[in-house]
Amino acid sequence: MKETRRSFLKRLAFNRAGDRKAAVEEADHVFLNIFLRGGADTLNMLIPYGDDDYYRARPTIGIKSGGTVLKPSADGDLAVKLDDFYALHPRMAPLRRIYQEGRLAFVQAVGSDNVSGSHFEAQDQMEHGEAYRRRLQGGWLGRHLFYRTGRSSRDSTYSPLTAVAFGNTIPEVLRGAPTVAALQSVDEVELKGGSGAILEDLSSLYRASRDDLGRAGADTLRLLDRIASMKASRSLLKSGSGGVDYPDCALARSLADVARLVKAELGLNVACVDHGGWDTHFIQGGAQGLQAGSIDELSRSLDAFDKDLARDNLRSRVTVMVITEFGRRSYENSSMGTDHGRAFSLFIISDRVRGGRVIGEWPGLAEVNDPLHEPKKVLRRIPGLEEDLDVGPAGLSVLIDYRDVLYALTETLLGNGQVAKVFPDFQPRSAKNLTELFN
Amino acid sequence: MLGALSLSACEQAISELDKRFGDDIPARIVVPDSVLIDDDHHFLSRLSFGPTPSSLAEIRESGAQNWLERQLQPSSIDDRMAQLRTRRFESRFVSSGDCFDFRKEVLRADLVRHTLLKAIYSNRQLLEVMVNFWSDHLNINIEKGDCVYYKTTDDLDVIRKHALGKFSDLIRASATSAAMLEYLDGKDNKVEKAGDAPNENYARELLELHTLGVDGGYTQKDVFEAARCLSGYRVREKFAKGKVFFDPACHDDGAKLVLGQVIPAGGGETDLNRLIQIVSRHPSTARHISRKLIRHFVMDEPTSGLTARLARVFLAGDGNMEAVLRELFQSKEFFDNRGNKIKRPFRFLVSALRAAGAETFARAPLYTYLSSMGQEPFQHPTPDGYPEETLPWLGSLLWRWNFAFGLGADRIESVRVDLDGLMTALGSEGRAEELLFAFLNGRKPTKEERFCLARHGRNHAELFGLILSSPAFQRY
Repeated sequence: MKETRRSFLKRLAFNRAGDRKAAVEEADHVFLNIFLRGGADTLNMLIPYGDDDYYRARPTIGIKSGGTVLKPSADGDLAVKLDDFYALHPRMAPLRRIYQEGRLAFVQAVGSDNVSGSHFEAQDQMEHGEAYRRRLQGGWLGRHLFYRTGRSSRDSTYSPLTAVAFGNTIPEVLRGAPTVAALQSVDEVELKGGSGAILEDLSSLYRASRDDLGRAGADTLRLLDRIASMKASRSLLKSGSGGVDYPDCALARSLADVARLVKAELGLNVACVDHGGWDTHFIQGGAQGLQAGSIDELSRSLDAFDKDLARDNLRSRVTVMVITEFGRRSYENSSMGTDHGRAFSLFIISDRVRGGRVIGEWPGLAEVNDPLHEPKKVLRRIPGLEEDLDVGPAGLSVLIDYRDVLYALTETLLGNGQVAKVFPDFQPRSAKNLTELFN
Repeated sequence: MLGALSLSACEQAISELDKRFGDDIPARIVVPDSVLIDDDHHFLSRLSFGPTPSSLAEIRESGAQNWLERQLQPSSIDDRMAQLRTRRFESRFVSSGDCFDFRKEVLRADLVRHTLLKAIYSNRQLLEVMVNFWSDHLNINIEKGDCVYYKTTDDLDVIRKHALGKFSDLIRASATSAAMLEYLDGKDNKVEKAGDAPNENYARELLELHTLGVDGGYTQKDVFEAARCLSGYRVREKFAKGKVFFDPACHDDGAKLVLGQVIPAGGGETDLNRLIQIVSRHPSTARHISRKLIRHFVMDEPTSGLTARLARVFLAGDGNMEAVLRELFQSKEFFDNRGNKIKRPFRFLVSALRAAGAETFARAPLYTYLSSMGQEPFQHPTPDGYPEETLPWLGSLLWRWNFAFGLGADRIESVRVDLDGLMTALGSEGRAEELLFAFLNGRKPTKEERFCLARHGRNHAELFGLILSSPAFQRY
């Protein structure tokens, strides 16, 4: 049987790959999408300490590994080794537990065909799940929710909390979702003032507005109603009652709220949380410093979230993906930071993933450590994309189209039987070149 | 009242002065009697932060074109009342360097309150709308590094100074503004020896966001070459802190090739001027800025015809904004597209306060609503500025409703409204709820709207809150 890249990714990456029955959608599975805004320098998160070129490209900001001995080091500023090639940033140490339990998988050298080097274009493209300058309708999670049950209309299978964006704006990735709620915290969802009749009037006024604004009004009213009844019936746990110590940061507060929503069984399917501050052009730091602070927040928040869910035996209900719009230049710039680059590594935490490993080949850094630091051709290795050769910012070569990962994830982990509609103009590519990578 | 008690003696005096000499609610407000949004209401909704009772009266008397011409010459407009309200922010009268003597919270509050008060009270409304436009276009997030210390100077000497002036002057001022050099790392863009990689951050956003636009036809090589031109501009950190200077030792003085034009070696600090000239006169820039203006003032999807016309005026006038805006506001497209835009939170909040003739000094209880709705000034993290399109803001309805009912009930600390005065001025020829709706939205309510409003005809507070919460008041 001719193997496609998709079946290949599925077979290798995910536990239930190939098992069609497993692809039945489960109404209560929750996908948490964490977007690292700004282009995260994943080279300093999943560190290729076995490659000397890494240290040559990053004389000041490279994370020291302390040699090749695999045992844990007492020095808190040394990279935390995963195997004889990769190590984690020291502030990512809390995630090693999840990695060793086989529930965390990295995918290396992922990226899009976007060579603009623009945050906004790259983020939009990634959130829409589209090819460079091919505009699709809505975001990929919006389409996933739209098509997930095979029904294409708004109906009772959607709770007002089916899709929640934490923050005060709705991200592109949820555009086109049947219902979206943007909230900063579950506790703030309350209409202050106005009698009960006011809700009826608002409902009729927004019903009469037959457009996005009208739908947003209806979603907001349903959300108010649902949260109010949950609070009344006390099925929504009080904030901070989970018995797990989350770090004190916005990301952790959002994740704690996601855990509360999961526990309250409010019909949550997709939660989107942004984590900002990854655009580290300037003094990014190494084991300590600017990026280390962001990594620390991310890792400790995820660790607490994982433990919080475990207390209620709900870990199997949640799949987490941590993604960014592009990686950064492999070499550091004159201000001890890194400029925009190309490929990055993403990671997935899920009971449904065969984790404890790094999926995908290491592309190497030799050819991108250009002494003149000039932008150069970087896409040639993507199979089928040779005709799209373009000059983009230099950086790690892209070996895996990000949509291959999203496609496999949507179909296998999220059980969407209509995945082809979620990525309508995308053909998962032949696995010819990837076969060797994954075996 | 709690709010009134917390006013200082000076603020009370200003409030009192404003009542006597400022634009208080007139004795009689004439409301539109049309099914579609009234001409004057439309004009004021777009060229100002929303009609006030007195600005409606003014434009009816003088005509829209005269009003526009006056607004294009803001210094000719008496603005003493708004200036009185904002002159107590000391941080606006000192240099960037001296701002380091203030606590960050003070600077943050001064910046936000000044912006809000000018938007609510200034008679130079078109200037304020353009200040808002350029503050997004040349976004600075004051939470990054020392930006909060430099933003006030940027607001005065870059944004406000050039908001209605020449585009290239605006971009040049921004390129050498301490706030921008800090925000997009320009101050650390140093090339000290061969092989040093310049910091591309600002150069990229200059081309992508500030001038040509992402589809403007530049390459990654152009970004790199522009970064070389811009290397060497720094911000003093010790003596004369905050002062911008050019350091030849950190400048790449070789020849550069930007967008097909050669900038010869040895240009030193003049490289920046050459670069700004090249990018601000580029046809892609004319199109990019035109599209953004159309999106802001007319429609979400700019038509190619209007874009081309505006871009021509932009190029012919060498980026003279006065000419571009005149062309825009006299276009048929501007006239025809009414109520098709969704207010962003800042506009929603300010337009409600203006319509109500609210009395405020814009303290925290007011501006924290903006942060809840997601649009506190100078807090957008990324250089693209707050989004213009609708989707991101559709999640803010609950906070809009909370603000609306709070304002209606006069329950927002540090803000006072006189709804009874407003209702009296609207007169009694017709049902109160329909008069109020027409005044706030520039048109008569539809049948469905009338039905919902009728239930609350007697309670002015709830009625006011409901109209501000309705879909109609989210549009403009």
